[in-house]
Amino acid sequence: MGISRRNFLKGSIGLYASLSMGELLTLAAEAGGRPASSRILVVVQLAGGNDGLNMVVPFADDAYYKARPTIGIKQKDVLQLNQSVGLHTGMPELAEQFKKGKLAVIQGVGYPEPSRSHFRSIEIWQTAEPRKVKDTGWLGRYLDLSAPTKANASDTFFPAINVDPILPKTLSAQKVIVPSVNNVAEFQFKADPKNEADRLAQIEAFNSIYKDFKLDRHYVDQLRAVGMDTTAASDYLNKIVQNYKTTSQYPNDGFGKGLKFIAQMITGGVNCKIYNITLGGFDTHTNEGRNHDQLLRKLSSGLNAFQQDLEAHNKDQDVVVMTFSEFGRRVAENGGRGTDHGTAAPMLVLGSSIKGGVIGDAPSLTNLEDGDLKYKTDFRTVYATILDRWFSADSKQVLGDKFDQLDLFQKT
Amino acid sequence: MHAKSDDYWVEHLLRRTGFGATPEELKYYKGLGFEDSVEELTNPEKVKNDRLDDILSKLDFDFTDLGDAKRWWIYRMAYTKRPLEEKMALFWHGHFATSNAKVGNPYLMYKQNELFRSNGLGDFQQLLIEVSKDPAMIIWLDNQQNRKNKPNENYAREIMELFTMGIGNYTEADIKEAARAFTGWAAPSGFYFNKKQHDAGEKTFLGQKGNFNGEDICSILANKPATAKYVSKKLISFIAYDDPDDDTVERISDVYLKNDRNIRAVVKAIFLDKSFRTAKAYHGKIKSPVELVIGTVKTLQVQKLDGDLSALMARMGQNLFEPPNVKGWDGGLSWIATDTLMERFNYAARISTQKFDTTDGYINPTKLAKNYNVNSASDMVDNLLAALVDGDVPHNTRKKLLAYVASDATGKEPNTVPTGKVLDVKMRGLIHLIMTLPSYQLA
Repeated sequence: MGISRRNFLKGSIGLYASLSMGELLTLAAEAGGRPASSRILVVVQLAGGNDGLNMVVPFADDAYYKARPTIGIKQKDVLQLNQSVGLHTGMPELAEQFKKGKLAVIQGVGYPEPSRSHFRSIEIWQTAEPRKVKDTGWLGRYLDLSAPTKANASDTFFPAINVDPILPKTLSAQKVIVPSVNNVAEFQFKADPKNEADRLAQIEAFNSIYKDFKLDRHYVDQLRAVGMDTTAASDYLNKIVQNYKTTSQYPNDGFGKGLKFIAQMITGGVNCKIYNITLGGFDTHTNEGRNHDQLLRKLSSGLNAFQQDLEAHNKDQDVVVMTFSEFGRRVAENGGRGTDHGTAAPMLVLGSSIKGGVIGDAPSLTNLEDGDLKYKTDFRTVYATILDRWFSADSKQVLGDKFDQLDLFQKT
Repeated sequence: MHAKSDDYWVEHLLRRTGFGATPEELKYYKGLGFEDSVEELTNPEKVKNDRLDDILSKLDFDFTDLGDAKRWWIYRMAYTKRPLEEKMALFWHGHFATSNAKVGNPYLMYKQNELFRSNGLGDFQQLLIEVSKDPAMIIWLDNQQNRKNKPNENYAREIMELFTMGIGNYTEADIKEAARAFTGWAAPSGFYFNKKQHDAGEKTFLGQKGNFNGEDICSILANKPATAKYVSKKLISFIAYDDPDDDTVERISDVYLKNDRNIRAVVKAIFLDKSFRTAKAYHGKIKSPVELVIGTVKTLQVQKLDGDLSALMARMGQNLFEPPNVKGWDGGLSWIATDTLMERFNYAARISTQKFDTTDGYINPTKLAKNYNVNSASDMVDNLLAALVDGDVPHNTRKKLLAYVASDATGKEPNTVPTGKVLDVKMRGLIHLIMTLPSYQLA
């Protein structure tokens, strides 16, 4: 079956595949209106190992200042959240969101027998499996379980959108392909503009070839599937972006642009449940003071702009933002005014549906294991709470075990 | 399965020793045959590189400029007669992944790159010592701050986890002890041993006791069977096929251990290994962005290298001198996501598009048609498929490409074989389409 010229002119180049994202997208777009479940999760990965103790500062504990004589955040500079902890100086916007009850700070999150390898620990957080190497991510498994069948395709969505250059294992799934997009302007199928008629002939040939490209080589099936999704998604996303307006001031960097892109997708009504974005550079072995300050400022001003943008578009009730990092850092500073790889750290959860506050206990700064904090809250309880309460999913099916729930959401 | 010809495996070999080949190179190596090609390609220092030297000397690169350093390396990869030298530099750059994003000194990145080139096929132990003393690496993994009584563990951890044995072969205590051995290794300007900051005391490292310094740690690590396996597996994955089985890794790591850790011997053994000339290896890898971009330049004889080729590679996911982290690039399927694949398609569009209003572009269809002996629409399809993807496509793809070529510039079906202006448009369109095929993404 070829594809008719009329469909090209309508711009619907995604009509070729029987079960592809292209079809789902088109159907979703035609259906208009919001789907039954419109709840969205934005995952923000703080890559490199975010120093939790300098982000959520235990300013009332002398042990903190003793362990960090040069890089400790002075008590007078801390943006106090309660009697014992406060946010880093560079996070006034998030301190403001905390006052409004829209920010939850979960303290001392980690897992047993922590790995201090960036790569193993991030894998553990992404797969939610500390005991062995697993191929799928926790959100990837959730997507697999909630993947639409053809019968109810009109109820379906973009499974997730990754805004980073590389797909994180968090979103690695078995049935679903998660698209990665970070520059919509570059995200379209180009050809020689001087030969417009021939360009259409090329797209027609491309679609027809991809439709049944079968070759007995490793990777060909995946290349074919991603290739079809690429052209389909490009067409759709470019239309969404054209209609977006905002007054929010996003930081003018990759992170800010990525958040803005996510806001464009959400306010444009893209039927997508999960977005992934990374802010990198947290591996602060040396001269932590200035570097960490800059990163936290980006994080705070970026998430604040995002929250305000959603509020202005009346989408804020639908969206929850969750941050995590592969590990926190050692309690004591090292010889280079920095910190080495550590263990437990706080997570931030932001959104208008969040029950704000400080959740969980802070780990002791003196009762340590190998110089590192002992975690207080298993990261999988956070995941389980989000899966069960926010997505109305069955967390046991995704995580393989039942975990406690946190008091993270407002009653709705 | 039919036995494949020697020519078939020579083309395969050239995709792995380097970045594909120009038509002249193909002819030359096919003349040599597979085994002599392996011999010549694995001894790059015996091959003269006059043309490259000539090109580089005219370009006057400023190595304190990151863009220049990138361009310099791209020119090397595109025009060298010693492809394996550059391929190994790329391998080691990914293995000892160091980023200018933190080093902030392109000249040091360039010097490190030269180290990969000069030592890339030698003794791994020597390479490991040199890399550990390399100023860019010292800055990258914070060994500047690794001082007596105030150790910084960053280098000690990564040298074991990512550069030698791999995770699971050491303890947190080994990391602390190794960090002590590397104390005082600094690089204020060039490598400097700061004796005052060196902890010369006894260490217990991987079960051995001694007053170890950094060189001792490198030597102990380079001779571990776990390192032989780790490095061999990574090399097989880089130049042969992903996820090699244990038996193959064992065979190749034996070569490492029996030849004093000599990388040339290891690489040669991989090319001559029985598993290299199999269906599993043939088109069994996804081209990295560097392989895709440079390979295209070579196959299509692109005459002028744009200044922004490194930016294109970066958007496809491989930013030279700026790998994402100390683990380097994961390769394999991680190269392929919707955005990076779209960048590959955009590159195909750019290369095949006529530049400005002149006939002068990246490619010259008329010249290519002559080179590839195009006398009919089916010649055009078959010869370009052979040149660009080794003819490795499903039968119906060939038919559809032929249908595309056999219509005129407005998409209508003509009665005659394309000529002149139509030939130009169709040849460009055909190259564009072939470059977007799944097969073109395979190495």
